[in-house]
Amino acid sequence: MSEQFEPKIVAFVCNWCTYAGADLAGTSRTKYATNVSIIRFPCTGRIDFMLLMKAFENGADGIIVSGCHPNDCHYTSGNFHARRRWIVFRSLLDFMGFDTDRITFSWVSAAEGAKWAGLVDETTQRIREKGAFTDFKKLDCSTFEKISHDAITE
Amino acid sequence: MTPLQNKVAELFENGTISLMIGYKNAINKLAVPCFIDHATQVEQLIYTPECKGNLSVYLHKAEIKQAKKIGILANIATLRSLVQLTSENQLSDIEKTVITINAQNEVLVFDNMEKVEEYVQANFPEYTEEDKKLLEQLNSMTRAERWQYWSEQFAACVKCYACRAVCPMCYCSSCTVECNQPQWIKVSSETTGNLEWHTMRAMHLAGRCINCGECGRICPVGIPVHLLTAQMNLDIEKEFGSKTGFSCNSGYALNTFKPEDKEQFIK
Amino acid sequence: MEIKNIKLSQLPAFFDQLIKSGKVVIAPVMKKSGKVFFERVQSYSQVATDYIQTGFSAKSVVFPKVEVLFSFNKTDDGIDIKDSITDIPETIVWGLRPCDGSAFNYMTEFFLKENPDVYYAARKAKTTLIAISCAKADDACFCTSVGLTPGSTEGSDLLLTTMGEDVYVEVITEKGKAAIDLSASLFSVNEERSKEKYLAKIDTKFSLTEIKERIKTAYDSAEWKNESMGCFGCGACAFSCPTCTCFDIQDEGTQNKGQRLRCWDACGFGQFTKHASGHNPKTNQTQRRRQRLMHKFQYSVENLGIVSCVGCGRCIRVCPAHLNIFENILSVTQ
Repeated sequence: MSEQFEPKIVAFVCNWCTYAGADLAGTSRTKYATNVSIIRFPCTGRIDFMLLMKAFENGADGIIVSGCHPNDCHYTSGNFHARRRWIVFRSLLDFMGFDTDRITFSWVSAAEGAKWAGLVDETTQRIREKGAFTDFKKLDCSTFEKISHDAITE
Repeated sequence: MTPLQNKVAELFENGTISLMIGYKNAINKLAVPCFIDHATQVEQLIYTPECKGNLSVYLHKAEIKQAKKIGILANIATLRSLVQLTSENQLSDIEKTVITINAQNEVLVFDNMEKVEEYVQANFPEYTEEDKKLLEQLNSMTRAERWQYWSEQFAACVKCYACRAVCPMCYCSSCTVECNQPQWIKVSSETTGNLEWHTMRAMHLAGRCINCGECGRICPVGIPVHLLTAQMNLDIEKEFGSKTGFSCNSGYALNTFKPEDKEQFIK
Repeated sequence: MEIKNIKLSQLPAFFDQLIKSGKVVIAPVMKKSGKVFFERVQSYSQVATDYIQTGFSAKSVVFPKVEVLFSFNKTDDGIDIKDSITDIPETIVWGLRPCDGSAFNYMTEFFLKENPDVYYAARKAKTTLIAISCAKADDACFCTSVGLTPGSTEGSDLLLTTMGEDVYVEVITEKGKAAIDLSASLFSVNEERSKEKYLAKIDTKFSLTEIKERIKTAYDSAEWKNESMGCFGCGACAFSCPTCTCFDIQDEGTQNKGQRLRCWDACGFGQFTKHASGHNPKTNQTQRRRQRLMHKFQYSVENLGIVSCVGCGRCIRVCPAHLNIFENILSVTQ
């Protein structure tokens, strides 16, 4: 049997809604893909775009960013700020030619254990089909080969 | 003496300014920044189409701030950055007189920001034809082609940070690239790190950049970095309806929100 | 010094032989932006011929912007350390200017004089410098003020000067000899002639002897402040400079795998002199600009006996504020 590619997925989630939603999925014994590593944040407003870049740099193949539904933020407006930032960040990534399909943005509430499980399954499946994220690795290798001389290319 | 020189001499003589930031002629037909602290030196001052540099960046410099009353010769991009900086509360401690030359070649002196704002709104600049063409080209490429384009550009970056240094909106006293615990951006210049640096720069300037294009113009290796923030500004205007450097009270698009902000991608 | 002649029309054939030798050939290439940069090339058609100066110098051949000093990898059997010095290929730099050639003399002094730097030594030993004299110059060029000319042979291995249909070839070193021996049949014997009328005319901006004397007392000049007022504090001048040799050692990677790197650094950066304690002895751009200029014209003379400015004019062209090094030097030494 040929081995299936198992993507590494990092989930950046807020403490109050999505983390609790993931907990609910667990306590409800819902089965979902084990590819995801969850990182808990106080709020989606705290999820800096650089964290996403660093996750990709350190070998993530896909990312999930999730928090409270609009109007449900524990801190009133963290997710509204986050939403603006994601809109801009996503369009910047797209303009730079980065594959934005590797990032899933979502709202998952504390009651939506099943939505969380479905989201992880769906993201895992999508990234599995896309294959490993190599865009960054290719960049590194091409420069370091050139570095011994002159990396100045157009 | 030109009308500009006369006007500046007058401002020195009546004590309105004690330091004038303007442009002077230099070798290779360039116009370069000059700093004048006495009426006798005004003959250096010029204002030509070559005067492209954005002089408002000097208002953050400690040596300049020492002068109590600053006169600044401003092209339209500089005026816009003054408006944006005012909206970010960055110029409140500086007593400044803004001088510009309009399309009719008249010397205008603004002693407060409301007048500057009014002038900017009446003369709001469009993107240059060249930038429009480049943006169109990039947006018509496939995603993979854009990735190829930008990775080749960023491979050439040497991290001299000239783009940061000339930017009037990059006024943080300590930058994320200088932070090493944790280290967000590698010190070495390699493509991934360079890409992260330019992503970070564009994100921190999105909705604040006033499209003067200085960062792209002065890049020693010719990377059109200004296109990143230029595109962001277009997107922000489309999504949230805010313009940069347009109003002294507009604030910053990413510092605020509307509950009805729309997007198509959040599941 | 041996003098040879080659027909101008034969230069591409000579160049092809260099490529065929299997060595890495770096040459100036015109980019879409109109700027010219050194780059690895495969054929003569890629080489730019009509330009005044490259945007960056060729120093990255011996002192790359990022150089891997060694890499390590933790394995089950211990730690595997790999020295990068073994990977250095034989390299030919084609078409550098005489000022850049002489910059290699300074770099060699700097890196090899007291505590020889093995990485530099290894790269330099494998590098052949084929310089081309300048037939054109702009207002930023001032090599004649720092004791050089558009036809100086210092530091280069071979110097080519186009004289109408012919190219006057000065074979300066054994490496230069080896390069022309690759296609010996293309070269004929020539006698020594004056290159003068084929070289660019560059006015002398100052007298070097006078400047060297006067700069000794220039440290406290009030002019430093005015002259550096326009400085933004970026690293463009230092990175484009053929003799700026400051570097920063960085360790990158994880506890299991990583590398030690040597990266370009610039004295214009605010953090350049920042101590671990947080104290920074150079608090403003005036002091940093003074450091850069004093180093070029005084400190390197004290330490190595060489003025470390070759007058290539890159810092003037590349500076966002177009600060002019020779005007600055003149005004602080008045």
